[in-house]
Amino acid sequence: MALRFGRLAGAALGLLALAAVPAAAQQAGRQVPIEYYRLPNGLRVVLSRDTTAPTAGVGVYYHIGFRNEPRDRTGFAHLFEHLMFQGSGNLGKLEFIKLVESNGGLLNGSTRFDFTNYFEMVPSHTIETMLWAEADRMKGLAIDSANLRNQQDVVKNEVRVNVLNQPYGSFPWIDLPMAANENWFNAHNFYGDLADLDAATLDDAAAFFQKYYAPNNAVLVVVGDFEPARTRGWILKYFGGIPRVELPPRPDLTEPRQTAEKRASRVDSLATRPALGVAYHLPPRWTPEWFAFGLIDQILGQGRDSRLFEALVQEKGMTGDVSAGINWGLGHQFNYEGPMLWMLSLYHDNGVAPDSILAVIDREVEGLITRPVDAATLARARTKLRASLYSIMESFSGFGTLDLLASFALFDNDPSRINRLEAEFAKVTPSLIQRTATEYLRRTNRTVYTIVPGARDQATGGAQ
Amino acid sequence: MRNRSLRRLLVSALLLAALPLAAQKESPPPAGTPKDFRVPPRKTITLPNGMRVSFVRYGTVPKVAVSLDLATGGIDEAATEVQLAGLTAQMLLEGTTTRTASQISRQAAEMGGSLQAGAGDDDVTVGGEVLSEYGEAFVALLADVVLRPRFAETDVARLRTNMLRDNSIAQSQPGQITRVKFRQMLFGDHPYGRVWAPESLLAGYSAERVAAFWARNAGARRAHLYISGVFDEARLERAVRAAFNGWKPGAAPTVKPPAPVAHRQLELVDRPDAVQSSLRVGLPVADPTSPDWIRLTVTDALVGGSFGSRITSNIREDKGYTYSPFSFVGNWPRTGLWVQVADVTTNVTGASLKEIFYEVDRLRKEAPPAAELTGIKNNLAGVFTLQNSSRYGLIGQLQFVDQHGLGDAYVSSYVKNVLAVTPEEVRRTAERYLDPARMTITVVGDKKTVEPQLEPYRAGVP
Repeated sequence: MALRFGRLAGAALGLLALAAVPAAAQQAGRQVPIEYYRLPNGLRVVLSRDTTAPTAGVGVYYHIGFRNEPRDRTGFAHLFEHLMFQGSGNLGKLEFIKLVESNGGLLNGSTRFDFTNYFEMVPSHTIETMLWAEADRMKGLAIDSANLRNQQDVVKNEVRVNVLNQPYGSFPWIDLPMAANENWFNAHNFYGDLADLDAATLDDAAAFFQKYYAPNNAVLVVVGDFEPARTRGWILKYFGGIPRVELPPRPDLTEPRQTAEKRASRVDSLATRPALGVAYHLPPRWTPEWFAFGLIDQILGQGRDSRLFEALVQEKGMTGDVSAGINWGLGHQFNYEGPMLWMLSLYHDNGVAPDSILAVIDREVEGLITRPVDAATLARARTKLRASLYSIMESFSGFGTLDLLASFALFDNDPSRINRLEAEFAKVTPSLIQRTATEYLRRTNRTVYTIVPGARDQATGGAQ
Repeated sequence: MRNRSLRRLLVSALLLAALPLAAQKESPPPAGTPKDFRVPPRKTITLPNGMRVSFVRYGTVPKVAVSLDLATGGIDEAATEVQLAGLTAQMLLEGTTTRTASQISRQAAEMGGSLQAGAGDDDVTVGGEVLSEYGEAFVALLADVVLRPRFAETDVARLRTNMLRDNSIAQSQPGQITRVKFRQMLFGDHPYGRVWAPESLLAGYSAERVAAFWARNAGARRAHLYISGVFDEARLERAVRAAFNGWKPGAAPTVKPPAPVAHRQLELVDRPDAVQSSLRVGLPVADPTSPDWIRLTVTDALVGGSFGSRITSNIREDKGYTYSPFSFVGNWPRTGLWVQVADVTTNVTGASLKEIFYEVDRLRKEAPPAAELTGIKNNLAGVFTLQNSSRYGLIGQLQFVDQHGLGDAYVSSYVKNVLAVTPEEVRRTAERYLDPARMTITVVGDKKTVEPQLEPYRAGVP
């Protein structure tokens, strides 16, 4: 083991311990072990050990998502994510990727509403190499105009393959947030107009990096089979010297309370069947209503036992499946910060009017508003929710746990929230569910979006 | 603030003038010593009726995955039965002689899981995962669904309508159109070449035909139950025996390998004004029982199968023609195909094919540098650990081994065998198997723009 930095971390190195939650020290339920501290430069660090397999995950989350990108540069946050793979001080183009792959790892990055992340899932003996590489690109990028042009082409091809060349394309994951939200930060096309992507310059990239890609705007998480003292030492060695910056004020992301139903539609010349999407604005995070809504999502929209599946698929035969979720298509209930929607969507046949489907949805929603849920339904929703939490945590060799810890550290400065979720959901009562449904599943709190399959020459505007 | 301005200087210097600093580059700290990773061993028992059951322990999360793999599927469909296996698998969740569809779904949900069913070319799988304490109850539920399905006409009619809609949507997606056209070109009249049932055929699928398909193809001799995670083995074994002992043995699995086309053919499916062309390029290669299989796996990872591979480096990171190109070696019993997939900007369709063939040809002529190959081999070894570090990952690995009759030594010696592959073996493998003159090319895109670009690729190598 090439331990080039043998000093043990901890108080001797001046680390500020913010919280250290020992494993199994809290209430019942599965407890994730967490060590949480902050380096003097502001970098928040979360360590969570799990020795089930000799693997580890290293993730760096920057507190900049696509909501917050510059107004004349839609898609820039995501384009910039690509640039982070194009070269840094000590790693040339493709060298970062090859370094991870040749160490037996998988890597990726993604841009979401409220963060941009970079992560490596690796055999556990390569953690130091990954920390060095992530620190290298946090220090600065080494890219030229050819790299920028190349990634503008790659990202435009990403938009083509996922949106422009696909039936439905932006439905519902881009269409519904754009239609339902009022505040530009939440309502713009975050994948980007191709013209805006083309307009990006190296100066834009330098400014964006300088503004947001700093240790005091980031969280570093290591999960898996690591040795804690050595890992803390490497983190200090490689990240400790990166200077903090003065962060810009965070923009006002709030959405006004919606008071009238919205409807939007587009003709899709590539689609052969119509589609229907519905979105409701959610209660703020960590309120009792927000936890209640997590259970409402289970009751109405998750699984073949859900009320919407039973009504729309089994009983009425209007569709083959119902997709629903909080932060649907880009994450889940626990990895966002700003205003969010609960969405559902389905594909149906030409002979079935969208309003007849909405009537069935309304019937099920009314059921939650007019009557408290029965005990069996609530118990099943809680069990499903707990199982889904475990699934999230276990997903992709523990990446899901890394993602939860990073989100709670980044947004709430409190990764131990991962261990309080079950207890909060357990507090939800039938009457709270009823009150939450009454306010948040109001018809006037929703946006209905329809896709109309159409001929090319009709595809010019809204068709109601 | 001194730090801040330093940082700003550093960033702009690097962005605008990277080269002068290149000479002082720091090397990455080397990795430590790999820890031993052994895929957990399994225990397999065979019931008197021929059904096999494998138990493999994994992890500490109190969940158990239970998956029944039945050796039937598209392979057992006649030409007049396209997608009948898929429809039958979906019908399993619509009710049994003792449970309604809703009861099946609710009971699985109460166990902290769900029951899923689906059909592939060579298997029908039914299963899911639940909290460990419900393992026995879940085995009983699974057995009820498989042994006592209630195939009702009204449910079949509803699922036919869904299938028609799903097919229609899939037929509007360029990736699906390309995938299916490529299969048709390679497999022709073999069941693997038939993916979507025409509406006229679907209309004739009654409950009676679904029941007949199931009666003909479901049975213990074709069944392998995989159980993975945290469980009490003795109790689960008792539950399995109680639930499945009465199942009829049924027929042996169908053995009917295809004879995929191994000469150059090219088809262009017109998708007017498409902004991208969807490509598949590939040919028959060795199957997993071949001594060349591991070498082929390594060769594929180097040429197109990894992020840092040659084709991806070329057409994505150098040329910017595409976002997510990838290659893979597909496998069926006694059949393997090497396939390169890419969605490329319309005006560089021909140029993309040129670069793909350039990379294949280069590898057939020159052995790769040892360092490049070592990186690829290390990647496969590491990813093997990641893939086998989950309940479903383990089940998938064992299903692969069983489907091809490889024996568990395949798993225990995989990493050693990958690491043993030499540069010259990779070159020889590419030369032997990846002959562009024998490759099929499928393109779905804007014909008026793309057709002239494809002219050089119609017959043989340009």
